[in-house]
Amino acid sequence: MLKCEMSGSQVKVFGKAIQALSRISDELWLDPSEKGLALRSVNSCRSAYGCVLFSPVFFQHYQWSTSVKVNDNDSTMSNLNCKLGMKSLLPIFRCPNSLERTVEKCKIFTRSDKCKVVIQFFCRHGIRRTHNLCFQESQPLQVIFEKNMCSNTLVIQPRVLAEALVLFTSSQEEVTLAVTPLSVCLKSSSDEPMDLTNSVYSEMFVGADEFDFFQIGVDTEITFCFKELKGMLIFSEATHAPIAIHFDFPGKPMALSIDDMLLEANFILATLADEPSRASSPQSLCLSQNQKRSDLMHSTHNNSKAGKNVTSKAPGCILRKAAPKRLYPSETLTNISALENCGSPTMKRANGDISEVPESSVSDTDRCQVTFFSLQFSCMFFGAVSSDQREHFNHPFDSLATASDNEEDDMNNSSSSTF
Amino acid sequence: MKFRAKIVDAACLNHFTRVSTMIAKLAKTCTLRISPEKLNFVLSDRVASGGVSMWCELEQENFFSEFQMEGISAENNAIYLDLTAENLSRALKTAQNARALKIKLTNKHFPCLTVSIELLSVSSSSRVVTHDIPVKVIPRKLWKDLQEPTIPDSDVSIYLPVLKTMKSIVEKMKNISNHLIMEANLSGELNLKIETELVCITTHFKDLGNPPPASEDASQERPPEQMAEVHVDIRKLLQFLAGQQVNPTRAVCRQLKGSHTFHRGAGRLSARPPWSGAQDGPGAHLTGTENYLVSNKIVHFDLLHEDVSLQYFIPALS
Repeated sequence: MLKCEMSGSQVKVFGKAIQALSRISDELWLDPSEKGLALRSVNSCRSAYGCVLFSPVFFQHYQWSTSVKVNDNDSTMSNLNCKLGMKSLLPIFRCPNSLERTVEKCKIFTRSDKCKVVIQFFCRHGIRRTHNLCFQESQPLQVIFEKNMCSNTLVIQPRVLAEALVLFTSSQEEVTLAVTPLSVCLKSSSDEPMDLTNSVYSEMFVGADEFDFFQIGVDTEITFCFKELKGMLIFSEATHAPIAIHFDFPGKPMALSIDDMLLEANFILATLADEPSRASSPQSLCLSQNQKRSDLMHSTHNNSKAGKNVTSKAPGCILRKAAPKRLYPSETLTNISALENCGSPTMKRANGDISEVPESSVSDTDRCQVTFFSLQFSCMFFGAVSSDQREHFNHPFDSLATASDNEEDDMNNSSSSTF
Repeated sequence: MKFRAKIVDAACLNHFTRVSTMIAKLAKTCTLRISPEKLNFVLSDRVASGGVSMWCELEQENFFSEFQMEGISAENNAIYLDLTAENLSRALKTAQNARALKIKLTNKHFPCLTVSIELLSVSSSSRVVTHDIPVKVIPRKLWKDLQEPTIPDSDVSIYLPVLKTMKSIVEKMKNISNHLIMEANLSGELNLKIETELVCITTHFKDLGNPPPASEDASQERPPEQMAEVHVDIRKLLQFLAGQQVNPTRAVCRQLKGSHTFHRGAGRLSARPPWSGAQDGPGAHLTGTENYLVSNKIVHFDLLHEDVSLQYFIPALS
């Protein structure tokens, strides 16, 4: 179903994309479509999403076809629902710089009969390296986010952003971006009362003239996570393209994107909700978190369950590198099951239960923890093609409803992040 | 209490950054003493650090173009601050291509050392970066523990070889034993020795030279060939050597007599050394990794990095 070929230098970019996405999650979806080959990744807390779409012209050769599955009742077109583990994928593309030198050609193709992805490197001196990766059948997640509808947009050269980020130590999780029409300030997040012993508070002002494009509609301060941004920066430096940052008010996700002729990369990060919502009861807080997450993730595979929060039972949330405070015990997986494997019977639970979940799962300390889930990504916008486009077209605003299908919506008072 | 200072010269800034990086490698938290003429980084003799102490001094006018301070009172015109050395070093590292750097003591909810950097960015517009480093002000009554150490007489003092070489040797030795014996004499010879049951390894350095003696009689008493020996914990020595990124302009090592009677340990790992001293102190049992420190001898390192002086004291093991 998928067959593509790239040269050494293209492999380097491809490898860097994988590395950047590996900072988000341990798993990656390989999602080919007529638009190109998309690599998608979602973190376990559902607060970060990354997608790199390589257009067909990026490759030397790109061939894709859907397979038609004939079920009992109807035949559905299904894409390659391929989920790969980073553990197996990352070592293959280790040292992208050296891959550029040694690899002459790289072929990636799938063998649908065996649920395998084959990656072949044709290297110098006639050496051929073949990797067979088994994949898990899993529908890719897709985030619907209208970046153009954000009131604030900044475009900056990756170099400048990299210089700015040197300031912040790896121990600092969150970074706040505060903008006014005149200037932009990056500072360490001051949500917690400053820890007396050790944390240094840093602040950097960047003048408007350093940006390639500077449009601030709304004075705002958003707080997001710092960690994954680095991976994206390395990727963006490889593509030499400027990074566009789209954001709005706190609580609404922010997007970092790179738009090039050959590829389109999007990273969408959740941002910390505003003070007022935090002050509200734990229940609604959780719900808004819930919403936030549900906003981020919508399976375009819309079964009737789509958009509904299901399951109060949290399967163990695999936190890759996320700090404990980002772990939201039961909450995190509200949508996961729905998203990943629609057919799984364990996933659904009555919507009514959801309101109960937050109470039981979130203690007071958790509440503080819950609010921290920004993710940093470099922008990679991905207008991922998801499998069921028809449904999507029929209900284009499903995602915009955020969690509107959920009961929680009634109870939720805080400003919800909507796409 | 007030403190504000400014550095505009790039070379001074780099030097100051290197000094703070070195301090960060030598101590986790230390005391910054600010006085009208000098800045000192002090680590006083603490059990937690295993008795290691440090005194680093720099003349403020060699670094700062502007320097103003006001101590606690007119008679006690100094400020003592406790800070985490790495915070300062990291903040200074972000000032790689800075046009100007300002440090001042501020109070934002709690006392901070605010480092404010004016960077010249790629697009030639300036960027301002601010770091607020939390500090603790040390009260006057604790100042007496943080004064400049007096150097007692030494048995032997010798110039050190290139510290990088010394460090790589000590690093390899660390894998074999924790107990290092340093021997030096007045003929410019230094030996680094480790002994275990199975093996004994010695590295000999020759022609190092000796600094002129402090007092006349000290040099007359001692035959130049005679080695003075001191036992140290190899990890402490290694931490000291690892902190020296650049080879100092001058490096002297002294074996100082401590407050107790002179005592020479036998140096064998499993034997119990005989006591020749008058005091009735605890014996030193050197079995495996157990070491009891008896402060009767101290190794003193006196380094000069251009215009910054660093004194580092490692207590000896018996």
